[in-house]
Amino acid sequence: MATLAERRSLEPWQDPKAVPYLRIDRITKKFGDVYAVDDVSLEIFQGEFFSLLGSSGCGKSTLLRMLAGLEYPSSGRIYIDGVDVTDVPAYSRPVNMMFQSYALFPHMSVEQNIEFGLKQDRMSRRERGERVGEMLELLKITELRKRRPDQLSGGQRQRVALARSLAKHPKLLLLDEPLGALDKRLRENTQFELVNLQERLGITFVTVTHDQEEAMTMSTRIAVMDAGQIMQVDTPTAIYEFPTCRLVAEFIGSINLFEGKVVATEGDEVVVETRVGRPMRMRSFHPMVLGTPVTVAVRPEKMRLCADFREDGVNQLKGRVEDIAYLGDVSIYRIRVGDGALVEMTLTNVQPRTEQALTWEQEVAIEWSPTSGVVLTE
Amino acid sequence: MRRRRWPLLTVLAFGYAFLYVPILLLILYSFNESRLVTVWTGFSTKWYVELFRNKQLLDAAWLSVRIAAVNATLAVVLGTLAANALVRHGTFRGRTGFELLLTAPLVMPDVIIGLSLLLLFVAMQQTIGWPDGRGFTTITIAHVTFSMAYVAVVVRARLSQMDRSLEEAAMDLGARPLRVYLAITLPLIAPALLSGWLLAFTLSLDDLVIASFVAGPGSTTLPMVIYSSVRMGVSPQINALATIIVAVVTLAVVIAGISMRRGRGA
Repeated sequence: MATLAERRSLEPWQDPKAVPYLRIDRITKKFGDVYAVDDVSLEIFQGEFFSLLGSSGCGKSTLLRMLAGLEYPSSGRIYIDGVDVTDVPAYSRPVNMMFQSYALFPHMSVEQNIEFGLKQDRMSRRERGERVGEMLELLKITELRKRRPDQLSGGQRQRVALARSLAKHPKLLLLDEPLGALDKRLRENTQFELVNLQERLGITFVTVTHDQEEAMTMSTRIAVMDAGQIMQVDTPTAIYEFPTCRLVAEFIGSINLFEGKVVATEGDEVVVETRVGRPMRMRSFHPMVLGTPVTVAVRPEKMRLCADFREDGVNQLKGRVEDIAYLGDVSIYRIRVGDGALVEMTLTNVQPRTEQALTWEQEVAIEWSPTSGVVLTE
Repeated sequence: MRRRRWPLLTVLAFGYAFLYVPILLLILYSFNESRLVTVWTGFSTKWYVELFRNKQLLDAAWLSVRIAAVNATLAVVLGTLAANALVRHGTFRGRTGFELLLTAPLVMPDVIIGLSLLLLFVAMQQTIGWPDGRGFTTITIAHVTFSMAYVAVVVRARLSQMDRSLEEAAMDLGARPLRVYLAITLPLIAPALLSGWLLAFTLSLDDLVIASFVAGPGSTTLPMVIYSSVRMGVSPQINALATIIVAVVTLAVVIAGISMRRGRGA
């Protein structure tokens, strides 16, 4: 069993010697005057489960379509396994794609759908039969082989689409909102299945999703996109815990933001004066110049109730409970602190709800540690 | 309170009667023994027998069917190409003009189409010597010019309903554009092609006005024969012929309807 530190050093994106399997080099795509994708560069490694995450219209789908060859970039190059494929048409690329609508051919049976790609490769009939059988088995849909797409449920269609896109044994599979059309429970099961499948086959997956939970559970790394640009590329943990800008911080989960400016630095900590309470003390990974406008970002679950509120305590705030949202496992509290700001705090419901300590209009004190948040400069 | 349905049903019955009683009468009288069209004397199929002995009428019918079939085939090819250009190639230069010119024959009076084509054919014959005289070729060309517009409308509707990602998926799986078209696009728009073909066939078969302008001696189409013979008094043979045509058209409409419905289900 590798220790965490050892595993860390094995991650290819941290290894300067690792060669990326897919390299996107300054890709730009313009539709008329609109930049759908604006100067994007990415390196994706063999065996990764890479997610492009963003709200609709952020350019993630366009980027994926350019990887498939369904759209040609206005400028920039795409390299797959070291080969420049920018001008290679879709039908000659060593890449397959699973479409959001699944795009199953309605006039063909499940079997024929899966076989379609193999036929284009002039594979022999016997080999084709074997491969189709293998795919049917892999996705546990053998009993559906004779059905037509309109005789399948949503979940079954998703499996057929996946089988079809995997049939040619691509080294790189592109998935456009792979779970988007499934209902919530099915989606959760399928998430894990998809990850297991990807690990077993060793294929590099690049998916597009607008669902942050989906991206968090499945991905090795996530690229958060907005307005055609990449805001941050990192592991799910890093994206969540250490966002580098406000946009990423707000897009993933909920977060408390306090705007202010740097008034002092002490070691690796900065002191930030905000409109709320006394100056906050936060750890910072970068040296900061005094007077820099910054935003202190703290996740609601990093907040805790403060037993001994002191006038000179670090990162302590006093306020009144204004809203309580009971979600079963946790409760979300909205606390009105001085100067009218609302602070969100999540507490795990260790005790049954009826015995909960906090109630509306109650005066509380909350606090957080200088290491459980980040200081954002943009 | 129960809603009274008979007023609505009466209106409906009148509507249907207005549309179909004449045709039913025509069918009925085609089995009439009397030479007089309006007097029923007894059942007989002798007019059918006489019809099949009438060479002029049969020749005209055969010519019309040939023209209709060639016209329908050409119209489907050209109409489909036009529909493809409009649906698949986004906003190319002159798109609006192309669209306008394509659909113009739908609203253009037949008399004008017929006359202008006649002038064109005459001018062409004088300058380049083709078409040599008027007949089968000129009628077919004339029919294609307007029936391809109908085909384009039908195919265009079908094409724009089709999920674009089906073709993209086929391409992604390694199929070249021509293969994508043959294996995916064509089968999916086939119902529209079939109904377009039948529509073009029917349009050509019953066109009298345009054909009258561009026909030459010895190339008399069926509607022309019927029209001229009716002016000299209706022969029950015409009733018999009309009955056969009604039967064929009904069959064609039923087939087109079924194939369209199947297409939608897929």
